[in-house]
Amino acid sequence: MNAACWSCGSAVPAGKPWCDACGKVQAPLESVDFFTVFSLPRKLRIDMTALERTFYRMSRKLHPDLYAQASPEERQWSLDQTSQLNDAYRTLKDPIARTEYLLRLEGVEIEAGKSDDGKPRDSRVPPDLLEEVFELNMQLEEMRMNRKMGEDDPQLRADLEKARTQFESQLAAVDTGLEALWASWDETVDSSAAKSDTGNIKGEIVALLDRRRYIRNLVRDVNEALET
Amino acid sequence: MAYSDKVIDHYNHPRNVGQLDKSSIEVGTGLVGAPECGDVMRLQIKVNPETQVIEEAKFKTFGCGSAIASSSLATEWVKGKTVDQALEIKNTDIVKELSLPPVKIHCSVLAEDAIRAAIGDWKKKNGVGEQTATAVPVVAAD
Repeated sequence: MNAACWSCGSAVPAGKPWCDACGKVQAPLESVDFFTVFSLPRKLRIDMTALERTFYRMSRKLHPDLYAQASPEERQWSLDQTSQLNDAYRTLKDPIARTEYLLRLEGVEIEAGKSDDGKPRDSRVPPDLLEEVFELNMQLEEMRMNRKMGEDDPQLRADLEKARTQFESQLAAVDTGLEALWASWDETVDSSAAKSDTGNIKGEIVALLDRRRYIRNLVRDVNEALET
Repeated sequence: MAYSDKVIDHYNHPRNVGQLDKSSIEVGTGLVGAPECGDVMRLQIKVNPETQVIEEAKFKTFGCGSAIASSSLATEWVKGKTVDQALEIKNTDIVKELSLPPVKIHCSVLAEDAIRAAIGDWKKKNGVGEQTATAVPVVAAD
């Protein structure tokens, strides 16, 4: 889908921030997604070096300082394009934010609990994960309480250290799982796989992201307990 | 963002923290979680088999102040109500009572889910079906 450059009339691909023919900045499109901003396919594995290089190259080209003498519209567009570029870069460079963003683009609702009309939501957290997280939280709380009560018991510190190692390895396992799913997802993009396949992968990614949030909280809590 | 006085009060003095005997036939247990923030909430009720009145309620929540306050309030509210009355508690009531801001509405949803899950568990244990016309599924299929 192309648009015409406002200045020279050449065709500009949708989302392209400037016209390749005359180099003029274009009005940003609200609807452009962050992958299109970087002319990337909707894949989950990204060459970070290339992404960074493209980001700096585009930033330099769109920098508002370059438009100090330009028309008010162009000045505004360079600001808007720069801010869109920054948002896109911030989201895509973080693998988790990138994954959540892509799922949202693909129509997957990440933030549950939106039904404020009192209708029951479909709860998608598997019960065994809840049990496990609840148990781990109980253990962690007990350790923290004991630690608060008494002197700095070396045994408790050792328990907490052990818990931290355990949570961190669980987090690493989740990340390994996510990497495998990213690869599967990217393959479906290349092969234009059946809807059911992509649906399954999306579901598995959502489940792992849920698990990751719980474990990340546990890592955070155990670190806090060790610091105090 | 500041918490309301009521949230702070429940957070500092949570009501009914603890646990009930999960294996008792009179006890229903609801364990729910909000994956978007990583909260987990356990709410338990003890129901009088004669009157179906919830005589005891306990909770344990790992989460933010609003999640703790929502579940604390939920235990206060279900106590003394019959099972059917307790099912009428809506998350919006909790939002109002605690003046929860929009970003914390999901905490109240979690508390409502926990009440439903606990009652669902109790009904399942006691073979109480859904006799009422409103066929809202409260128990997830196994």
